[in-house]
Amino acid sequence: MLSRVANSLYWLSRYVERAENLTRLVDVAHDRVLETGLSNNAETWQSALYAICSTESYEEATGIEGNDLDVGRFITFSSSNPDSIRRCFALARENARMVRDQISEEMWLELNSAHLFMKSEQAETLWLQHPGSLYREVVKFCLLFEGLIEGTILHDEGWHFIQVGKFLERADKTSRILDMLTYESENDRAMLISVLRSCSGLAAFRSEFRSDVTLENVFAFLLFSNSFPRSVRFCLRQTDNLLHAISGMPGGSFANEAERVTGSVLAQMNFSNVENVLSIGLHQYIDDLQSQVNEIGQRVFETYVLLPSEVQNIAGTENWQLQWQQQQQ
Amino acid sequence: MFQHYQKDDFFDEMFAESKGSVFGHYRNLKTRFETLSIDELEKKQRRVDHGFLEQGITFTVYGDDEGTERIFPFDLIPRIIPDSEWQLLERGLTQRILALNLFLHDIYHEEKIIKDGIIPGDVVKTAVHYRPEMVGVDVAKDIYVHICGSDLIRDGDGKYLVLEDNGRCPSGVSYLLENREAMKRAFPTLYRNSAVRPVDQYPELLLKTLRHLSPRAGQTPVCVLLTPGVYNSAYFEHTFLAHKMGIEIVEGRDLITVDGFVYMRTTKGLVQVDVIYRRLDDDFLDPTVFRTDSVLGVPGLMDCYLRGNVALANAVGTGVADDKVTYAYVPDMIRYYLDQDPILENVPTYLAWREEDMKFMLGNLESLVVKAANESGGYGMLMGPTSTKKEREEFAEKIKECPRNFIGQPVVSLSRHPTICDEHQIEGRHVDLRPFILYGDDIEIIPGGLTRVALKKGSLVVNSSQGGGSKDTWVLKT
Repeated sequence: MLSRVANSLYWLSRYVERAENLTRLVDVAHDRVLETGLSNNAETWQSALYAICSTESYEEATGIEGNDLDVGRFITFSSSNPDSIRRCFALARENARMVRDQISEEMWLELNSAHLFMKSEQAETLWLQHPGSLYREVVKFCLLFEGLIEGTILHDEGWHFIQVGKFLERADKTSRILDMLTYESENDRAMLISVLRSCSGLAAFRSEFRSDVTLENVFAFLLFSNSFPRSVRFCLRQTDNLLHAISGMPGGSFANEAERVTGSVLAQMNFSNVENVLSIGLHQYIDDLQSQVNEIGQRVFETYVLLPSEVQNIAGTENWQLQWQQQQQ
Repeated sequence: MFQHYQKDDFFDEMFAESKGSVFGHYRNLKTRFETLSIDELEKKQRRVDHGFLEQGITFTVYGDDEGTERIFPFDLIPRIIPDSEWQLLERGLTQRILALNLFLHDIYHEEKIIKDGIIPGDVVKTAVHYRPEMVGVDVAKDIYVHICGSDLIRDGDGKYLVLEDNGRCPSGVSYLLENREAMKRAFPTLYRNSAVRPVDQYPELLLKTLRHLSPRAGQTPVCVLLTPGVYNSAYFEHTFLAHKMGIEIVEGRDLITVDGFVYMRTTKGLVQVDVIYRRLDDDFLDPTVFRTDSVLGVPGLMDCYLRGNVALANAVGTGVADDKVTYAYVPDMIRYYLDQDPILENVPTYLAWREEDMKFMLGNLESLVVKAANESGGYGMLMGPTSTKKEREEFAEKIKECPRNFIGQPVVSLSRHPTICDEHQIEGRHVDLRPFILYGDDIEIIPGGLTRVALKKGSLVVNSSQGGGSKDTWVLKT
């Protein structure tokens, strides 16, 4: 398949996964604000912003849109947020448009109407009246889309790239949400529960651990669970399998850098426990993990999208992209 | 439904006279539409529009906010062409594409038509799209224009005239196909009872046309569609056609050239490409030969093309035939190369580089349409009767400055067609017709074409960028 197509399929699915994770996060934060009874709990929102690495862009945005810019609105709709849910949809749809001939008609129709809906005033009105309803709609769409990926296209190379995008994004987001727990020195039970719910993992946690909701247990669960589909280890194991399916290389060996890095991170996780994490320091551990997940993404790009000669020389792409857009018109 | 319809002084595609009798081939349609209330009709219209938007059958509006996409307005009343009329058009268009191809071969080879004094060499070689790189080059199967979309109009008497030939990258065929699908859904019974010739074979015919050009014998040719990219206004059409043909849609960055061959970059390595259906102008094709700042093209592509290792459709350099000054000579080409009289006439055209014509043009700007030789999409045009004095003065200056670049034509009062307009009215609106001609092993013309309609009252400009819409076009089997 064309390298560019593989790249677009990968990003298409990453953006949908990102939208879903952001939505769960912001929905839970909304809820938490209600729980605490304060009118607008700045701390809750600060940690949410921290989790999605948007503290800076929020500050910039308040410069443009005013100091009273609601964080929920910022994450959901704001045009000055490069990573808003609305924008994730626009980008997912943009990537889908580039590979329209490669995805199923249903995938395109659903994604396009979800994008049109998120763009509309109707979505903002619904959000103002009842944010939870909007978020439910978004999550519903994302799950529907996952089902369409599962059930309406060939499970061939393209599908594997779609899945790699999904699991890498999910690993990244789960680790960021966990990082919220290192943002504050003390975490109450409510905060731990919020984190689990942001990963849609409260019930799963209970049935796997059958024990107290403690910081250690939450970390153990979201990092190392073997069967929870949003734990970092689970996501990396899937990624590892998918990459081997693409190259045809048997597991436990590697044909390229993407496979080598994934395998080594996974092996390291397979033979660690939460005590090791604590000895390294929670934040430090997550920080390292995130850079490794990023590196996997970068290596996939270098292996399958770039030619060997281009890997050395990918600077200056921004300017090129601008020119590229203008000349098409 | 039609009781208030005014035919006025125009040729009407449907009505022989106001309120009165329709042409025979419109009788079925009239009967069906008269059973509808305007409310029902608008409901159908909304459904169709919504379908287009949801499916992303849109074009990009330039100079607008990020990624503004609009649907190409679609009118539910189809245009109908009887079989006898269509046969005439087919013969006329076939004759024309043959002559254009002979002309293109000639000007890049022997230049007989210039030596015989039919067309001045200056006119040919000063055409913006004349490509000296193509002199002496033998293109695959000696065909230059594989896909042509000539624009036809009808004058006050209903006579068909050719307004221009689009021999570079004519677009619009996806709308033709989608309009037909929408029409079938909106009026299934009427459609079934009307014996309409199908159009959905187009993608197959196009693929056949492309495969015909492959330089590699003995194996299934690898054909690709080269698009400028997702921001191009016709991007929907590009994915649509690639998908229907089952070929890859590629951007310039997906292709590389190695030792005179073109390859596409895949996740499994490089794959050799045989035929490129390029929807990219010559200018952008290859930065090492044409525009050096092009990031859409493929460095080295021209080299591979000139060596005959890859075929391009359409060929490089066909733009000369799109030049509006060249256009004026097409009837002469037909007489010269084919020794036949043109079946389809041109709109009478004055060429400003001829002194007499210029004098006439400058004296009659108010009653003429003045066009720049190489603009399209309704740009660079002076509509005499509706122009202001200032605009006319500006154009007069431009004409005097660069006579080669301007032509003048009398205003043709395009035929009109009943069209659903704002405020629940059916009114006459001006239409044209763009048939699509494929020249491969054979010449094939898809029955009908894209009927474009100027939705603004009184407007003669049908381009989508200037408020035009479209209709389904039915060619009847009998």
